[in-house]
Amino acid sequence: MLMQIAEPGQSPEPHQRKLAVGIDLGTTNSLVASFRNGRLQTLRDAAGEQLLPSVVYYGENARVLVGKEAEAMAAADPANTLASVKRLMGRSYNDVTLSPALSTYDLVDCGEDMVKLQTRAGALSPVQVSAEILKVLAARAQESLGGELVGAVITVPAYFDDAQRQATKDAARLAGLKVLRLLNEPTAAAVAYGLDEKEEGAIAVFDLGGGTFDISVLQLSKGVFEVLSTGGDSALGGDDFDQAIAAWFMQSVGLGELSAVERRQLLTACRAAKEGLSDAEQVDVALGQHLLSLTREVFNDLVDPLIDKAIRACKRALRDARLSHDDIQNVVMVGGSTRVPRVRERVGQWFGREPLVDIDPDTVVAIGAASQAEQLAGNRSGEDTLLLDVIPLSLGVETMGGLTEKIIHRNTTIPVAMAQEFTTFKDGQTAMAIHVVQGERELVDDCRSLAKFELRGIPPMVAGAARIKVTFQVDADGLLQVSAREETTGTESQVQVKPAYGLSDTDIADMLTSSYAAAGEDKEARALREQQVEAEALLQALSAALLADGEALLSEDEQKDLLSKMEVLHQQKQDGSAADIARHIEIVGAASEAFAERRMDASIKKALAGRQVDEI
Amino acid sequence: MTEIDHRDDHFALLGLPRQFDLDQGALTAAYRELQRSVHPDRYAGKSERERRIAVQKSSQINEAYDTLKSLTRRAAYLLKLSGHSVDGSNTSFTDSNFLMQQITLREELAELEGASDPEAALDAFYRDVDGAIAEHTAAFQRGFEDGDYAAAKDEYAKLQFLEKLRSEAERKEGELLDY
Repeated sequence: MLMQIAEPGQSPEPHQRKLAVGIDLGTTNSLVASFRNGRLQTLRDAAGEQLLPSVVYYGENARVLVGKEAEAMAAADPANTLASVKRLMGRSYNDVTLSPALSTYDLVDCGEDMVKLQTRAGALSPVQVSAEILKVLAARAQESLGGELVGAVITVPAYFDDAQRQATKDAARLAGLKVLRLLNEPTAAAVAYGLDEKEEGAIAVFDLGGGTFDISVLQLSKGVFEVLSTGGDSALGGDDFDQAIAAWFMQSVGLGELSAVERRQLLTACRAAKEGLSDAEQVDVALGQHLLSLTREVFNDLVDPLIDKAIRACKRALRDARLSHDDIQNVVMVGGSTRVPRVRERVGQWFGREPLVDIDPDTVVAIGAASQAEQLAGNRSGEDTLLLDVIPLSLGVETMGGLTEKIIHRNTTIPVAMAQEFTTFKDGQTAMAIHVVQGERELVDDCRSLAKFELRGIPPMVAGAARIKVTFQVDADGLLQVSAREETTGTESQVQVKPAYGLSDTDIADMLTSSYAAAGEDKEARALREQQVEAEALLQALSAALLADGEALLSEDEQKDLLSKMEVLHQQKQDGSAADIARHIEIVGAASEAFAERRMDASIKKALAGRQVDEI
Repeated sequence: MTEIDHRDDHFALLGLPRQFDLDQGALTAAYRELQRSVHPDRYAGKSERERRIAVQKSSQINEAYDTLKSLTRRAAYLLKLSGHSVDGSNTSFTDSNFLMQQITLREELAELEGASDPEAALDAFYRDVDGAIAEHTAAFQRGFEDGDYAAAKDEYAKLQFLEKLRSEAERKEGELLDY
């Protein structure tokens, strides 16, 4: 017979709590949080630490250390101790060589592709390094929660572009984590605050971390977190404060070139000085025999230009949200760098109100992400929150003369789909090059190049007769997909665009294979298990959907057809190979597509009807 | 402009009357209610296919909301629905007040680069252009509601010019203040 069918109103596996986590993958520190013992909390390691320094050390004999242990190797072996790699995610060599924060590494120029770091373990992509950090956090979570994770919500700076987001998602995939959602850090923080305060109205989230800065303006209403605008700088943070102190120190004592080891020592001393100045009025900075005293006043002058930059972004974000200072009911401070008194003072001054610092700025993002993970895993029903985010940077294509034409404007709510028509300019032209860029500038060269692809198979026609419709679809994670279609003949030219800076599927497959091998795991067995789990999930979901709406939305024949295909999948799940199961998942999926769409349309109608009844 | 099949127009999709004068609160409430039922986050545990459909539906609702919440885009959409072309590219204006307004705003925009305080100059420009947009939006509404489509189209063309100036300022702002 068919699979066991649960009683109506019961979920197939009642009280089966799914384990999901929120991960804040930070420039300086990373954290994992989850719902545990009745509340949202960060998960600690065996030593009781919640913050995991985002540092990875590649030692002899393929030994990899992550966190504090890796940090301890920085002074002795700086070239193989990688910190702040978040700044390299989705970036090419030319994008990052200017940043002094990374000057202690040996960066490999990979042209248009993502930059790599030369270590004794070979040239590594920042995606691989980030995956090491994620693996440690995932292991910590599985240990403290006592089971396999169904997935994770991973946070990214709101101002991350498509390439940086894709790189983050790839890192999770490499770490064997299913991404339930890429969530913007300020939105996650707002969720954490919203839980505690039951805010209503407009708020601003000022998030200054180790290497990234975000400002988001949100409208809160009955559990809906609607982002109105976002802005920032994906290369501005506490690291830059340290650099500013270092530059001041070197100039004051007249130091020239430093070795990598000295440079790392100086930066560590500068960071300590910055942290010391949060309480003290004056601290010492020392390197070798050089010793200088740094007052808070001098420090404030050093960082003011950096804070100015952040405040200009706040101004633009408010303008984009079409709000003024007075409309903002609260300013929420997030990120370790908002501990700097000067940052709080200037932000408070500019917004004309005391910023909120109630929740630990280091953990608030992970807590918010964990809350969303709990919901996405299906553990929470009823009081759902809804997060409506925006795309931080405009998407466009290159047109004649190296100019950009915007297709989706920044601060458009996602998911979003937009289409644009193009035509041929020569008789008989059968191919066309399309260059997708992200950014606000007029010239293509000033924007980020996301992808270049060629559309082939256009039927030969006279110039200007072909109508090629290119559709841009941005999903809720802020990731772009592009497809194209010739309209007059209906020729489909589907193109899935992977960002130029991203990893190809083959790269990922290779990295995964080697990591399975390292873990002594059988790839085939793993693939089979994954397909079985997916088949089971699909069958359960469909049975529940059929019980609820099958009769109302499907004809008798449609129901019969679907049920018989499900029956086959059920058989295959028990006896088939991974490939067999995958094929039948596809068959059942295709057969249930119309049903899924009708169910969604029905829920739209119901939502509208409910609202109209409310109004009467 | 989108790929998605429009069986209903944006107003019908959001359950609102097809008119220029919309209750902003009702618009937002309807939008949120619909997103609650179709946002991809509601389908996180579902199949790839269902999530894809949810992304499409949710995008469609976002597009409807985006079009209706901006007064200029709402104006364009209403003109289009009532069968009027909204391509203002070869409109020539005879309204001398508008021409003066245009010239003043253009000058203001051109002087941004040399301004001693570009931030203050930008603030002033946005204030002026937003004032002009509000003025011509009101004029559009009068024309449209009176069934004077020639006047409505004329006002819409003016709005297009003003919005273009506004985005020009946004672009300059990015370059001047180095975002």
